[in-house]
Amino acid sequence: MSNLETILSRDAYILSIEVRLFWFIALIYGICFILYIIHLTTKKTGPGRLATNMLWVAVITHVGLILLRTFEGQRAPFQTLYESLSWFAWSASITYLYVERKWKDIFLPGILVTSLAVGASLYALLARSPAVEPLSPPLQSYWFEWHVILAFLSYAVFVVSCSIEIVYLVIRSSVKKDLRLEYGLNKGNLETFHRTSFRLALFGFPLLTFGIFSGAAWANEAWGRYWGWDPKETWSLITWTVFAIYLHSMSIQKWKELPASLFNILGFICMLMTFIGVNWLARLLGIPSLHLYAM
Amino acid sequence: MTILQNIQNINWQGIRESKLYRRFASLKTSCILLCILVGFYTIGTIFPQDAQLDDYIKSGGRFISFVIFFDLLNIFNTPVFLIIAILLFINLVICTFERFLMLRSQNKTAAEDWQFTPAYTFPLDINQELESAEESVREIFKKELRFKEKASQTYGIYIMEKGWSYRWLTWAYHIAILFCFLGFLMTYLFSFEDEITLYPGEVAVIKPAAASRWNKSWGNSPQIFDFKLELAEFITEYNQLPKLEYPADKLSRLAFALGWKDPQYTLKEESYFPKDWKSRLKAIKGNMAVLEKTIEVNDPLSYQGITFYQAAYKQMLKIQVDDNPISFETETGKEIIIPGIDGMLKFGTIRIGTLFKKDGGMEKIRPFTEVTLVKKESSGKLAPDPPLYPLQGGDKGVGRGTETENIGKLEQDGAVYIDNKRISIKEFKEASILSYRYDPGVPLLWWSGIVVLLAMSFRVFGAWYRITYRIEEKDGASHLLIKVNTKGLIADEERLIKRLKHLLEKMTEPIDLDTPV
Repeated sequence: MSNLETILSRDAYILSIEVRLFWFIALIYGICFILYIIHLTTKKTGPGRLATNMLWVAVITHVGLILLRTFEGQRAPFQTLYESLSWFAWSASITYLYVERKWKDIFLPGILVTSLAVGASLYALLARSPAVEPLSPPLQSYWFEWHVILAFLSYAVFVVSCSIEIVYLVIRSSVKKDLRLEYGLNKGNLETFHRTSFRLALFGFPLLTFGIFSGAAWANEAWGRYWGWDPKETWSLITWTVFAIYLHSMSIQKWKELPASLFNILGFICMLMTFIGVNWLARLLGIPSLHLYAM
Repeated sequence: MTILQNIQNINWQGIRESKLYRRFASLKTSCILLCILVGFYTIGTIFPQDAQLDDYIKSGGRFISFVIFFDLLNIFNTPVFLIIAILLFINLVICTFERFLMLRSQNKTAAEDWQFTPAYTFPLDINQELESAEESVREIFKKELRFKEKASQTYGIYIMEKGWSYRWLTWAYHIAILFCFLGFLMTYLFSFEDEITLYPGEVAVIKPAAASRWNKSWGNSPQIFDFKLELAEFITEYNQLPKLEYPADKLSRLAFALGWKDPQYTLKEESYFPKDWKSRLKAIKGNMAVLEKTIEVNDPLSYQGITFYQAAYKQMLKIQVDDNPISFETETGKEIIIPGIDGMLKFGTIRIGTLFKKDGGMEKIRPFTEVTLVKKESSGKLAPDPPLYPLQGGDKGVGRGTETENIGKLEQDGAVYIDNKRISIKEFKEASILSYRYDPGVPLLWWSGIVVLLAMSFRVFGAWYRITYRIEEKDGASHLLIKVNTKGLIADEERLIKRLKHLLEKMTEPIDLDTPV
């Protein structure tokens, strides 16, 4: 066997391990999702607690997967959409687990988080190629890692923020009417729980700002202009603006209840559009985009 | 002088109290304007921006009359959008100005600061006179907890603060956002850009085709620069890229997951993946090279305020058919009709330069191209135009009713045969396409952007505390009554109170205030 053949079969072997590991992680995300649904339907804390413990297993295994991918590609593992989806699933899950530590016996936000994690993982595994490719010339920039890591960190935070917001909106009326415990939430902790959503959005906003700023600085170096109204750029600006409206509306007396909550959820939808939806939109409408390498 | 007097004579207070001004100073107005802008942005992602109307119609674009009426293909330059942006700018100016006045007045402690409802009460278990207890608590806050005294009143209320003022930080990043707006304005008015195509050894004058908006509005012609640009060398580099044999259908992928199949990498001879494009450029003044730099994507050359970027490359081919002395000139990627051949020929990118191999080695590439034969429908009917914006990286079809046949690899000294005709490369040349741009808004945006990020980060991630307290004697014992305000995500009221409690408990023993902490 020649040197080249040895390298190729080694790469194929590592990839086969990686893909199977990713399937395994997706499976655990799926089980966690089902357990959270059981928690929702039965109102028992057991399935919720089990789901959280299993999610820890998935997240730790996912760290191994990301390290393996980094070793395979010899670069930061978020060049292709396959890699970004994996990174997104992991970052959203770990952010949720970090936040959830404070809220013992409140597991409902896990439903949205794990559904996104399993959805992103399955989309990557079933619809995208796992091939490891070298960095194309436009991506060979020190801005690349900063831009992607910070943008994805903000996405992860917004996912958890939105999950809490939705849980709050759904459950608040029943909790306010009745003193009975509803999924670990009661009159005493409901508002503090909801406040976490705002604090998370507040945390994510500067990260998103830096993500956009670093993207503009990078575009200025690579394409010669910092802003080109490219669909991906514009959707990131839409997301930023909607979250800016949300944060400001929290200071307006009349808006700080339901309207603010709706802006938070809208911001999350815009974030999904920036990440995935814009690719679909650009293909559907045939709009040219300089960000096609991420599609 | 008169102007200054006129400005001084304006009834500023009256303006500030007017309904319109108050509306512009409102946060609600900011939110509404931002909502309107979101609407514009969304439209901008639905309709292709900067596209020509004819092309839009040809590619099946809909709502033509709306597109024309609202100028939807150029929405970010429409007067309505610009007006909304200006209104937001005015709103931001007024809000930051009002905030500044408020912050300045807050330096003097307001009357309401002195009226507080304490959130915590601590018994001061010490046998000291009230004044001495006050002194001890004050020292705890100042020396142990590192608070700074902001104000105090003779009747015993103290206000202390710790950390950077969140109000000033908020104000600072809003001011920086205003400067960003000015940066955008400078870009809008004064920037211009163009492209230049250079073959190796070619020298060209930098003469942009279009002037900046500002110059255009004054009828000035585009600026000509007093230096020339020479392309000394153009370099292309490739990586060898193995192809992954992996199924596209979902069930087969599941088979991979279950270990029934294994992925495989195969390496074709033509598996090339672009690694880099480099242009060695010289800026020439008179007859002297004043600057030389090898630029690549992400590493441009700046000279006299203009920045040159590696944008793309262009390859021209001269094709010889049999021994015909007349050759056919074409550009790679474009179709050419050659008499005697049924269909059109298309030549792919000429691979030239250095190849970095998968096994770590490298080699000079023997120039070659891939030849494709494109045939239209046999009915003679022309196939519909290809999509206006063909997406890169994947779709290779050139439209329905078109058939493509891969003829094979054509090397520099080799030939391919089509319809008994011998096709060979007589000559080829490669040019570097450089884009260049003058944008005086960038430095302002760069610096104000950094201020936005820093101030916003300190505001959001930092910790700011304000405590208001007094010591009260009740039933013969002293009590500390305190209220805590915090801002910033790492500010932790609970921890502060815990630490304070601990320090107060320690106060049962007399504190040696002379020992530095």
